[in-house]
Order: sequence, then structure tokens, then C-alpha cells
Amino acid sequence: MEVMLTAGLSLATLPVAILLGGLLSGIDRRLTARLQSRQGPPLSQPFFDVLKLLAKERVVTNPWQAFAPVTALGSAALALVLFAAQGDLLVILFVHLVGGVFLVLGALASGSPYSQIAGQRELWQMFCCETLLFLIAGGLYLSTGSFRVSGATGLPAPLLFRLPLLFAAFVFALTVKMRKSPFDLAGCQHAHQELVRGVYTEYVGPHLGLLEIAHWLEVVLYLAVGSLFWATGWGMVLLPLAAFLAVIVLDNIAARLTWRWMLGRGWGVAFVLAAVNLFWLKG
Amino acid sequence: MSDAIPLVLIIVPFFASLLCLLSRSTVCRSFIVIATAAMLAVSSLLLQGPLAPDAGLQWAGLIDPLIIGGDFLLLAIMFVLGCRYRHLLIVLLTLCQLGLLSFLEFFVFVEEQGHALWQVDGLSLTLVRVVCIVGGFICLHAIPYMQAHENHLLPARSRQPRFFAVLLLFLGAMNGLALTNDLAHFYFFFELTTLCSFLLIGHDRSEEATANALTALWMNGAGGLLLLLAVWGLFRQSAQLDMNGLVAAVAGNQAALLPLTLLMAAAFSKSAQLPWQRWLLGAMVAPAPVSALLHSSTMVKAGVYLALRFAPAFAGTLPARGLILAGGFTFVAAAALAISQRNAKKVLAYSTISNLGLIFACAGIGSPAALAAAVLLIIFHAVSKGLLFLCIGTAEQQVKSRDVEVLRGLCARMPLTGMVAVLAALTLVVPPFGMLLGKWLVFEAAADHFLFYLLLVLGSSLTLLFWVRLAGTLLASGELAGFRPEKQPFLSRFPLVALAGGAVLLALTAPLLHNRLLAPLSAQFAAGGSGVLSTAAGSFPLALLFAVAGCAGLLAMIGVSRAMAGRKGAAYLAGANAGLPGHFVGPMNRPVRAVAENSYLVPLFGEERWNLWVNLAAGGLLLFMLGGALWK
Repeated sequence: MEVMLTAGLSLATLPVAILLGGLLSGIDRRLTARLQSRQGPPLSQPFFDVLKLLAKERVVTNPWQAFAPVTALGSAALALVLFAAQGDLLVILFVHLVGGVFLVLGALASGSPYSQIAGQRELWQMFCCETLLFLIAGGLYLSTGSFRVSGATGLPAPLLFRLPLLFAAFVFALTVKMRKSPFDLAGCQHAHQELVRGVYTEYVGPHLGLLEIAHWLEVVLYLAVGSLFWATGWGMVLLPLAAFLAVIVLDNIAARLTWRWMLGRGWGVAFVLAAVNLFWLKG
Repeated sequence: MSDAIPLVLIIVPFFASLLCLLSRSTVCRSFIVIATAAMLAVSSLLLQGPLAPDAGLQWAGLIDPLIIGGDFLLLAIMFVLGCRYRHLLIVLLTLCQLGLLSFLEFFVFVEEQGHALWQVDGLSLTLVRVVCIVGGFICLHAIPYMQAHENHLLPARSRQPRFFAVLLLFLGAMNGLALTNDLAHFYFFFELTTLCSFLLIGHDRSEEATANALTALWMNGAGGLLLLLAVWGLFRQSAQLDMNGLVAAVAGNQAALLPLTLLMAAAFSKSAQLPWQRWLLGAMVAPAPVSALLHSSTMVKAGVYLALRFAPAFAGTLPARGLILAGGFTFVAAAALAISQRNAKKVLAYSTISNLGLIFACAGIGSPAALAAAVLLIIFHAVSKGLLFLCIGTAEQQVKSRDVEVLRGLCARMPLTGMVAVLAALTLVVPPFGMLLGKWLVFEAAADHFLFYLLLVLGSSLTLLFWVRLAGTLLASGELAGFRPEKQPFLSRFPLVALAGGAVLLALTAPLLHNRLLAPLSAQFAAGGSGVLSTAAGSFPLALLFAVAGCAGLLAMIGVSRAMAGRKGAAYLAGANAGLPGHFVGPMNRPVRAVAENSYLVPLFGEERWNLWVNLAAGGLLLFMLGGALWK
């Protein structure tokens, strides 16, 4: 009975997460517009955009473009459900990677040079996020003795005080995942980049719509991982929200950089910070 | 009945090998190979442990002299080879081994007590089944492959009899190595695989093939010498050659640490761990079945088998910590070097080295979860990697290149081989397939080893990167066509399809595999009956992942079929499409092909930049292990 209840509650997080993801995207667009002295669209605009995409005709240049969006959405959804069920963070991260893998496979399969180049960049972006998130999982283990999400809830003091540098690394990973400047290299929303829409270039219509929802879920998953740093009371909401807003502000004040910079300075620094933090926990 | 199976698993391939050598008819040889492969597969499945301790002892009096004779014969052959190719290092190494072996056999081992002949537990059963089943499929695939290979090279006299003879001999040697419980016998089979690998790598007799075969011979010869020294050292500590007894007897014995570390160093050379990687990379000149056999299911697995066998005696010591770091370093460095490779076979080779590093690190950790992870990695790596080698080999014969950029879009030209290769690559990096399950266990086991955890995170992220890139490149055709499998001989297709099915199904049965093979290895580590693997720190909901993956796959296929029925598009090329796939209308209204290649980042990850440093670091770690053994 209890198992059924957990499973039901975890599944119920999915519609909530989709709503939240779309809403966050709306906030993002509105805030960005205000920072650029524009009015910006209403908060519900992302939902209308996705609905319109879903109603469009299916056109593909390669069958994998129809395969990838479903798997990407499935993996993001499963990862979120597992997180809500307070499962093993390592498994959640593995599952979440599947979506990125298929997104890149679809892009590489399309035969478009823009997708090709962006696919390679996307792989490096995945590398950046993946390494840092696995180090966060390591931090979770070293401070709670378990890789389970449930280990972080019910701690007397927030993990942030034990994992401050890992939180900095987390903000870096969130910037990369949200495709924000200075790391909007492989598929950002805006016309900042030279690769059309990067990995998304050849995805159109309902396929693009599904990928958009998958991306919302991924951002929500990342914010959920961020909430582990302060898993008690309001901090659980406020800390990830602060990180989210910080990333948007950063997006508007930072110039777009090259992938070399992202790997060399950005990721290199974040990885060292994360490793140092793990070393503290160990010592 | 079960008592005789180990002998069957060794003797049958030896005899079949002899028959292959004698028969000049292709049909006859094919029949022998197929029959042997089938028989090995069935016998390996019938074999169940544990055997009675006196099983097969009645033959011991016959086997011992045969093996001693075989030892000297092998060394004599290697000596002659060294002289013939004027390779001083091989001559010296062989002479050292001859001297040491004579001394040991005639003066030291004489006081040896009788002991169980065979060792059939989860670990050896795993290796035997991998050798017999994956190796068997590779042998089947080799039949049409070698036919086409000779049609291409046109030697004056068919060299297939010798090729298949050595191939089968190799399987027998590997079975012997996995099943024997006598360390001196182990040394014989170890050397036999060295000689077989020399013959197979040099099969094409080109200048490059011969040079690389000689590299393999001296490096593995050095490994043989290290092994012999280790055997001597271990015998001095507990006066026995019984492997099982030795592990129990020398555990916690400070003086036995040096021989144990030498043993690990020997295993490193056999498994082509850094800094010994050169022979495995060179082995790529051989025909594809050889690469598949050497890299996935046999030769390199001998080294990790040895390390895992002696891991319990080693765990928790200073050299064991060195082993964790050396394995972890190999895992990362080989994966990073794989990123810069355009040669598909070299990508596979580096990834093999990298994965074996991970298994060595598990042996160094030595906890039950780590050992379980190692065994799972051996199984799933053998199936997926063997499959990938066969795919790349099959493609290479058609495309006449192993350059990744030439293989680009393989799925359009050879849909079945291409798709199987993509599937095999995905089974290596994506859950719910087996490798990821194994990797998850390694993560759980590694969390207490801070430095190794960092290496593990880096290595597995790099691994994901180059596999997805390779799979995506094979898919990249930009053409929209239905799936129509190409024509190919049954014996080429059957192993591909069977191994692909195996890679998927084996992962489904992982909890069962675990309970059957590993329960004695890891009593504290519980596998639930409900399709969930659990450790103290986490759980892997395998059944759930498979169910969701299955549903998502099905939905995705429905999406694909609906999309394929709809309007077709052409990729955006920043210009008017010229009608031909991938072409846009360029200057003078001529069609221009849009080309984008993968970024291999050679300046960043290239071999030339890193080889020296990587070898120095790996050599340093080996010295650290040896030094750690002497440290009081």
C-alpha cells in the first residue's frame, strides 16, 4: 500500500513539474525582457508556443529525429519521478543522461552541418554537467553515507554549509544546462550563436515541442538537485530559485564565450572547486 | 559427468585445432569450427561448480609432465622466434624464463603437495562462458570473414588452416587458464595465449603485422617472466601451487606482498594496461576476428582474471591502493586518448584498455560490491565490445577503411551492421544496459576512495562522449530510407544478431546472473528478487528502468513510423537545397556538398602530446605499487 502511495505521489509530480518548468521558462523570458527594457510575453506564453508546435506537421530528414524526442522526454520524466520517489541520485543522473544522448544522436543523424557541430559541442556541455553532478552525488554520499535522495532530507543543518564549493559548481552546471550565456554554445533560444539553433536546428513541429517539454523537466530536475543543498523548510524553494535568478541575470550581463573557455576556465575551475570540497569532507 | 567437462573444454579445442591444421578443404574446416564452437558453448553451460576436490585427480600424473613439457616447448619456440627475427629482447626474456623455469621445476616445486586440479567458481565460470560463447560466435563470424579476407589479399597458399587452428588453440588455452587451480599450469596457459596472440597478430605477414606481433610477444614475454617470479615468490611463502589455497594462505602476509604485486604487474601487461598499451594498439593490424577475440573476450581478460583471483589476498594493502589509482588512471587516460582517434578500431582498443583499467581498480578495492561489479563488467564488456569489433570488421571489408569519417553514415549503406553497431555502442553507455549497471556498482564501491572517485567521474564522462560521437557518426546519413538489411552471409549475420540480442537480454537477467555467479563472492550484497539491485548506499531499479525503456522505445518507434509516412524534409544548409542529399546551390548554380567532420581535438588529446607523459605516469604508479610492497 505504501509503495503504491509513493509511486502515485511520484507520478503526480510529473504534471506539476511540467507546469513549473513552463512557468519558469515564462519567468525567464519576462525577466530577460525587462532587463533588456522590453515588455516581454505573458507568463503563459511558453505553453502556447509548445501547444502550437505539437499541433504542427511532422517533418524529418532522418528517422532518428522522430525517435530522439520521445526518449529524451521519457528519460527526463523518469529521472524526475525517481527523484520524487527519493531514489538513488546516481541512477537518476544516469537516466537523465539518456535524454542528452538521444538528443545528440538525432542531431548528428540529421546530416546538417549546423547540427553536427552543435552536437559535438552539446557532448562537451553534457561532459561539463555530468562530471559536476556526479561530484555532487559524491558530496551527498560523503556527508550522509548514502547516494539516496532521502539521505539529504531530514538533516539537522542544511548541506550548503558543508558543500559550499559544490554549490558553486552546481550553479555553473545549471548555467550550462539552461543554455545561458556565457555557455549558450549548442542550442540557445536567442540569436546569439552562429549555428542557427544548434542541436535543435533540424527538429521541427511536434518533435521540437516534445524536446522543449523535456528541457523544462531537465531544468526542474536540476533545480531539485539544487534544493538538496538546503533540504529543510523554505530554503528548499528559495535556494534553487535564487540560483535560477542568478543564472538569468548572468545571462544578460555576460557575453557568449567559446567552448574552449567553457572547458578550460569554466569547467576546470568548477571541477577543482568541487574536488576541493570533497577533499574537505574526506579530511 | 561434470568432472570431465573441464578437460573437455580444454582438450576438444586442442584436437579441433589439430584437425583444422590438417584439413585443406574449406567445407571440412568450417564444419570443424562450427562443431567445436557449438560443443564449447554447450559444455560451458553444462559446467556447474563447485566440483569435488578430487575431480580429475586420476589424470594428474599424466597432465603434470605434459604441461612441463609444453612449457619448455613454448619457450623453445619463442626463443627460436626471437633468434629468427633477431629480437634481442625476446631472446633475453625467453632465456631468463627458461633458466628460472628449469630451476623451479627441478629444484623448487618438487616438494609440492597434491591438490585440487580444477577451480570452478563464479569467477572462472564467468570467464569460461565468455570465452566459449562470445569466442565461439567470433569464430563463426571468422569463417566468411577470412574467406573474403583471402579473396582480397590472395596469398599463394591459403593460410586459413593455420589461422583457424590458432584461433581454436587460443580458446582451449583460455579455458585452461580459467579452470586450472595450479599456478604452474596457469603459467603454461598464460604463455600459450602469448604465443597464439603472436601468431594471430602476425597472420597477414606484412611488415607492420610482423613488427606489431613481435611487440606483443616481448611485452607479454615480460609479463610471463614477472608471473614466473611471482609464482616463485608465492611458493616460497606457503610452499604450494594450489591457487585457492595460496589466496587464503598469503592473505595478510607482508612478505607475500612483493610477489602479489609482481603478479599484478604481469596481469597489467597481459591486459595491455598503461604503460603496456602498445601491443594492443598494434594488434589492430590483424583481421577483425582476431581483434575481437584478443580485445573483448579472451587475451586481455586473462589479466583481469588473474588480478581478481588474487584480489582477496591483496585488499587493503598499500599496493592495492596503488592498483586502484593505476586502474583509475588507465580508465581516464585511455578514454581521453580515445577521443582523439579517427581510426574506429583504435577507438575500440583504447576503450577496451580503459574499461579493463576500471576492472583492475575494482580488484584493488576488493570489497564484495567491487568484485561483483568487476565480474558484471567482464561479461557485458565482452559481449558489447566483441559485437562492435565484428561490426567494424564487417563494415571495413565493404568500405575498405576503418576511418570514422569514411564510416560516416554507415547505417544508410549497411543498415543491419550499422544499426547493430549503434546498439552495441549504446549498450556500453546507456542505462538500463549491463555496462551501466556495472558502472553504477563501481560508483557505489568507489565512493570511499576519494581520488579514484574523481578519476571514475572523469573517465565515465569521457567514455560517454566518444561512444555517442561514434554512434552518431555511423547514423549521420541525412537520408530518409526504410530499414532494408543488406545482403550478407548467414555466418556473418548470425553472430551479429545473436550477440546484439545477448547484449540486451543479458542486462535484463543481471539480477539472476548476480545471484547465480556472485552470491558466494558477495554475501553482504543483496539482490532483490523484484528486479532491484541494492547496496548499503543505494539501489538500482533495473526492472523499472527496463519497463520504461521498453515503453519509451515502443512509443518512439510509433513516432518514427508516423514521421516516415509523412512529408520528408531536407537539412537546412543556409542556402537553397540542390535536390541531392546534403548539397546546396552554390556559386554558378552548381551544387556544393556541405561537409562537417567530427572534432577530434587532436591538439588537446592527441597521442603525440600525451604518450610520453601518460607512460611516465603509469610507470610511476607501477613503481609505486612495487615500492608499496616493500614498504614496511
